[in-house]
Amino acid sequence: MADYRAITITKGNGGFGGPLTVKPEGKKNKLIYITAGGAEPDIAAKIIELTGCEAVNGFKTAVPDEEVFLCIIDCGGTLRCGIYPQKRIPTININPVGKSGPLAKYITEDIYVSGVTNAQIQPADGSAAPISEAKAEEPKEEREFKYSADKKVSETMGTQAKSSFIQKIGMGAGKVVATFNTAAKEAVQTCINTIIPFMGFVSLLIGIIQGSGFGDWFAKLLQPLCGNIIGLLILGFICSIPFLSCLLGPGAVIAQIVGTLIGVEIGKGNIDPSLSLPALFAINTQCACDFVPVGLGLAEADPETVEVGVPSVLYSRFLTGIPRVILGYIGSIGLYAGK
Amino acid sequence: MNIVIKLASGFMGLFDVGAATFIGWVTGIVPKVLLLLILMNSIIALIGQERINKFAKVCSGNVILAYGILPFLAAFMLGNPMALSMGKFLPERMKPSYYAAASYHCHTNSGIFNHINPGEIFIYLGIASGIQTLGLDMTELGLRYMLVGFIANFMSGWATDFTTKIVMKQQGIELSNEMPQ
Repeated sequence: MADYRAITITKGNGGFGGPLTVKPEGKKNKLIYITAGGAEPDIAAKIIELTGCEAVNGFKTAVPDEEVFLCIIDCGGTLRCGIYPQKRIPTININPVGKSGPLAKYITEDIYVSGVTNAQIQPADGSAAPISEAKAEEPKEEREFKYSADKKVSETMGTQAKSSFIQKIGMGAGKVVATFNTAAKEAVQTCINTIIPFMGFVSLLIGIIQGSGFGDWFAKLLQPLCGNIIGLLILGFICSIPFLSCLLGPGAVIAQIVGTLIGVEIGKGNIDPSLSLPALFAINTQCACDFVPVGLGLAEADPETVEVGVPSVLYSRFLTGIPRVILGYIGSIGLYAGK
Repeated sequence: MNIVIKLASGFMGLFDVGAATFIGWVTGIVPKVLLLLILMNSIIALIGQERINKFAKVCSGNVILAYGILPFLAAFMLGNPMALSMGKFLPERMKPSYYAAASYHCHTNSGIFNHINPGEIFIYLGIASGIQTLGLDMTELGLRYMLVGFIANFMSGWATDFTTKIVMKQQGIELSNEMPQ
């Protein structure tokens, strides 16, 4: 039995959450990192040194959740940053990202810390107890409890509703209104947490690109690639190359920027609008290549399936990349013709 | 002095262009996406996850249902990333293929149905905003994106069946073709 020690991680510059105190224990002793290109992040070495844990590359090897005591990610705030907090696994994000993405509600100070560099990782001084399994289980139980309580409420509502027609209508209308109201609250959260921040970021980028003249320069570089179908095929091919596709994937940020640049050029009339459809396929042939282990995890796949699935999806992206652009080109026949 | 003034106004100019773009998006796109999100959230809440799960089980028997119809509906109903979770109703061997198809469906359908993937919408919106600048209707692009995507995504899913076979041979791992209980 190895000798494990506890560490405390505080948030870095511009970071969010923490401090987290974690300690590997028994079978729960693996540090998993899911970072761009599968390279081991700098902070992993320090954590291994301080705690005596075992580090695993999450892209290559799937680890059952119950063996993971800490997870390192480098998500820009689109999705992955919420996956592990949702499972109540302590999470370090190398990027300074706060509550963001569709799973933002799971990103809380007690399970997530971001903007972390080596300087923020210290041996625990014993003042805080490590996050234990029992504590991690607690919210789950609470949630299940709520769920069953909720069920009972609806059951009681159902039995009551049988007693009177008027009551039934009242209950039904109340339920629909409440459903819509909850849905609206969630939707507003999504807009504020995900959509508007990204709009701000892209707008600033567009401002800098357009206003500085960089856009014109870059467009000249891009135009031979995006202005005709052959170039788009080459672009689609490049994006789908295995390994490179993993690097281009995270948060679809690169695809979104290239998409925005192509859009600007279409607006100026430098690229034919009918090419917009094959371009949509070309810039996204790497789609979700970085996300395979997590996506398969969502589908409750076995570790062996992840082992096989990661290369399999990378290969199939590579095989179908060019045919997709060709399909897009065929589908674009007659698009915006004569307008 | 003139150079300083020019530099300063040039610097602020960067933000003017960006701010104009931002306001255009906030007033033009946010309200539409917001209302669509509300409606979708409500429909999903009213239908209930259980009925969606039942449907997914039915789909696992056939490749067109599994890599065409199921990911399409899952993306529409659940959005990114929860659409990927529907793979749990398929045999282990089909899961990578479902992933390949469903992750694409979260993009190709987001042109018409913006609620599917709000975090990554700018792949579509970036290009579509150029169409809008030209005064053309971006619905046509979104619709074609979805229809062509439907065929292309099915192809991508099905092709993964073959690559999975190759990788299984390479690694000497045999994945089960049995239906999950």
